[in-house]
Amino acid sequence: MNSLFSGLTHFQALALFSLAVSLTFAFLSKRGALERAKYFAWAFLAFLLVAIGIGWLMYPFSQ
Amino acid sequence: MNEAVKQEQQEQQGAGSSALGITAAVAGWAIPGLGHLVLRQWSKALVYFLCVGGLATAGLAMRGGVFGGNSPDMFDRLGFFADMGTGVFYFLAHTIQSAGPDVAHASGDYGTRMFATAGMLNLLTVLEAYEIGRGRRA
Repeated sequence: MNSLFSGLTHFQALALFSLAVSLTFAFLSKRGALERAKYFAWAFLAFLLVAIGIGWLMYPFSQ
Repeated sequence: MNEAVKQEQQEQQGAGSSALGITAAVAGWAIPGLGHLVLRQWSKALVYFLCVGGLATAGLAMRGGVFGGNSPDMFDRLGFFADMGTGVFYFLAHTIQSAGPDVAHASGDYGTRMFATAGMLNLLTVLEAYEIGRGRRA
């Protein structure tokens, strides 16, 4: 199991984190399957897009 | 919302007790999802166990750091508070993570954040279980 998770790329780690957090938030804050599915999809994509966006913003400073 | 649904929600909200809320909260802290299992909320119990347990296990497997409670540093104490939120996963950390932490690499650093996030998520689910047990939330 250790080798499975330690071999994750940065994006895979981000996706795993986003998946777990978005799903928990969806169940905590919404009722009904459709509402939860919509909230999950929105939060999951927002996590990914914001992280990638901030990554690109920081990219010039890494050179 | 029709009257029947309103009445059912009011009955559910009135059915809670302080003891049930505390029992659900302690159970939910000890094992993520167990508080909602006590309250017969099967789907929430399963999702919370998988999400919190999965995130905590992934964090430990990535060789993330686990904060101890005896550090003089305030940020380490906050980390300890967050890590303690995982309940049983905190106490099993050394068993799951037999190789010990390795925060010199990016995956270990991610693992530290994942484990702390799992703890904070579980504390949110504990608060929800307490509120449902008290009858303040359906």
